[in-house]
This record gives sequence, C-alpha cells and structure tokens, in this order.
Amino acid sequence: MSEVLALEEVGVGPVRGLSLALSSGQTARLTIASHDAKSALFALLAGHRTPEAGRVRLFGEELYALPDDARVPLYRRAGFVPEQGGLISNLKAWENLLLPAAFHQGLNADAVEARVVALWREADPDGADLRETMGKLPDRLTAFERRMVALLRALLPQPDLLVYDFLSSGLDAGSAARLYALTQRFHGEKPGRASVYLCADDAASAKLPADVTLRLG
Amino acid sequence: MAGFLSPERTGRSVLGIAWYAQGFFALLRYLATHLSALTVRPTRLVLFKQIYFTGIEALGAVSIIAVLTGIVITTQITSLVGVNATLTAKIMLWVVVRELGPLLTAIVIIARSSSAAASELAGMKIRGELDSLRQMGIEPMDYLIVPRIAGITLSVMAVTFYFQMLAIIAGIGFTALTHGIPFAGTLGSVVSLLTLGEVAASFFKTLVFGLVVSITSCYYGLRAPATTTAIPQAATAAVVRNLLTVFLLDGVITYAVFL
Repeated sequence: MSEVLALEEVGVGPVRGLSLALSSGQTARLTIASHDAKSALFALLAGHRTPEAGRVRLFGEELYALPDDARVPLYRRAGFVPEQGGLISNLKAWENLLLPAAFHQGLNADAVEARVVALWREADPDGADLRETMGKLPDRLTAFERRMVALLRALLPQPDLLVYDFLSSGLDAGSAARLYALTQRFHGEKPGRASVYLCADDAASAKLPADVTLRLG
Repeated sequence: MAGFLSPERTGRSVLGIAWYAQGFFALLRYLATHLSALTVRPTRLVLFKQIYFTGIEALGAVSIIAVLTGIVITTQITSLVGVNATLTAKIMLWVVVRELGPLLTAIVIIARSSSAAASELAGMKIRGELDSLRQMGIEPMDYLIVPRIAGITLSVMAVTFYFQMLAIIAGIGFTALTHGIPFAGTLGSVVSLLTLGEVAASFFKTLVFGLVVSITSCYYGLRAPATTTAIPQAATAAVVRNLLTVFLLDGVITYAVFL
C-alpha cells in the first residue's frame, strides 16, 4: 500500500499537533467539534492554507514545499467536496459538474449524462426536474443540490483521493445516509482509492466505517 | 493644493503606476507563454463567451456611435470645404481609421466590459473560486485569465474594424443623400487612399488597445483584497486606468507613426 496523505505534527489555526497517515485503499474519519478547526483543516488539505507547524505530504510530495503552480497538477489526482460546494459562480450546475472531467480528460456531457442522472436519482429519488436543476447557476441551487453537484464533480475524473467536508451538514437524516452510501460505493469503485471524511459529531457520520479515526476538539 | 501635491500622495501614485506596469507586463508575459491553454475545451468556451459579451453584445452601441460619428464628420467637412469627394474621403480616412475608430471603440468596450471583467474576477477571488479551481487541478490563470485577455483583445480588434467600416459608409452615404456627392466615387477614393501602412498602423493601435483594456481589467480584478467593498473599487480602478492608458498610448502611437 502506498502513502496517499500524511500529516506530521501539523499545526493550522486552532488545530495543534495533528498526525495522520493514510495509505491507498484506506478511509479516515476525522470527527471535529469546532467549525473553525474543520475549516482550517480542509483549507490545509486543499492547499489553500500553509501550516504554522509540521509537514503535509500528498501522494508522497511535500505539499507546502512546492510553489502554487506545482501543486496544481498534484490536485488532479484528488477530489474535494466542500461543505458549501465550492462551485464557480458564473457556470451553470451542469458546467460546474463537468468542469474538471472536461478539463483534464476531455469528457463531454454525452459521456457522463447517464451516470450523473442515475447517481442523482439514487441520492434524491423524489427530487425536482433534474434538467431544470442542471440549468441553474449555483446561487439558485439548494444546499443539497450544491453538495450533489460538488460530489459528482469530484467523482467524475476518478480521483485517487476523495476528501469530504461535513457532507451531512444541514441535511435531513435520510439524505445524509444516502449521500454517505454513495461515497462508500465510490470508495470501492477504483482500486486503491482513499477517502477522508471531515465530520461533525452526529449519528449519520458516526456509522461510517473507517480504517483511521480521529477526534479533534 | 498642498494636499493634492503632497509627497506622500505623489509617492503613492508613482508606486501605484509602477506596480501596475509590473503587473501588466507579468500578465502579458503569462499570456504569451500560455496561449496553449486555449486548446483545452472548457477554456475555449470561456474565450467564446468573452467574445460574445465583449464583441457581439457591444455591436448595437458601437453601430449607433459609428453611424452618428460618420454623419457628424462628413457634415462638418462639407460645411467647411463644400462638396469635395476627394477631400471628404481623405479626412474620413484620417479621422475615422487613424483616430476615432480605435479610440471610440476602446471607450465603448472599457465602459461595457472592463468594469464587468474586473468586478467578476474580484468577486470570484473573494468567494474563494480561484482556490476551488486550484483544488480541481485547474490553474486559474489558464482557465480565467488567458481566455479573457485573448477574448477582449480579439473583440476590440474586430469591433474597431466594424466601427471604421460602418462610420465611413454611413458618412459617405449621408453626404450622398444630402449633398448629392456620388457614393461609389467617394468610397472608391477612400479605398484608393488606404495604404498598407495605414492599415498596419490602425491594426497595431487596436492590438495595443485590446491588450491594455483586457490586461488592465484582469489585473485590477486579481489584485482586489478579500473584502466585498473591493469589488466596486476594482471596477472603478480598471475603468479609470484603462481610459488614462488608452488616451496616453493613442497620443504616443499617433506621434510615433503619423508624424
């Protein structure tokens, strides 16, 4: 098993002395009580916030020793699902969803449409007209729709690492359970894929099976 | 007056111009070395959208201004020198092709697109969308900046050409209707007077104006600090700097090429 993500005595914002080692195929669940700590940690993993202490290695590379433009190719192997979606405001939901897959792999809408529709219906069986949803700009989407777009956007390029940021936050128990079930299936779809869940201390998150579990104050 | 000319204020202005110049040439260099980003389909879509917003959507306003400019100029010429097809053609060429075409088109595009591009980029930066692109493995400069600079520059060049043609045809058409000057004869004079040097100088001017407008807009959008009040400030700064730079360069190019 090769190393996917390693944190060594990392200090970032309110998080202090955090260590974590995640190998290919493993799942980590980090239960975090503080929203500030969660935001700091997600920004650190996503490459936006330099740690005040410690080291971060992503796919074996010392992440924060690399200049910004050298980090970008490394992130082609990772998929992030931010709590607020992290969508591009001037792109419609469908364009957002397709962006990384179209950019890196040249995929077009026809190639992924059937899969996207099936996955969306699985997560939201009684949802609104998907065609209408896909034509909306991000500020017209509900919190659930934004998260679904972010989730499918992260999945389509088939990354080696998936990072979920408070995936169940603000959702009803049924929707949260369906989203978690989808992510667990994604995990097994590609051999060696690793998953990191940043979770609130809630019942849905507590049921997630994980190889590495940590609890941060 | 003392406050206006204070050393602190002067120093800040000089530093601002120096930072702007440095940022401008850094973006120009980035564009020159990363044009290959336009081969990626999503980036090409951004380019096409930019050409649509900056070029095609500006055609209505540009058409009205071009027609009125052509009519005003030919009316003034006729009132000053009387009915003279050759002189009308010469002055139309000098005024419209050399000066007003590039300048008025740049002003229209600055008013419409410069503030829009600067505020859009500033908003995206404030909302963390540049970081979102990086975490998708997409370099924001390649995806957002290269197609915007290329799109605005191409639009300025194409719309300027359209303005020049329309203003000349409208002006000559108007004098043909009102003073009976033969339309085809005057148009023929314009074409025969048009030299390759004239066309090259106009092309060069529009290329410079296009690069200035696009790069300045992107520069002020990208350098906005992460507060919402920075969005209108970025838009205003882009428009003001663009107007000053375009007028300054217009003078410099005219002096260097035509004197």
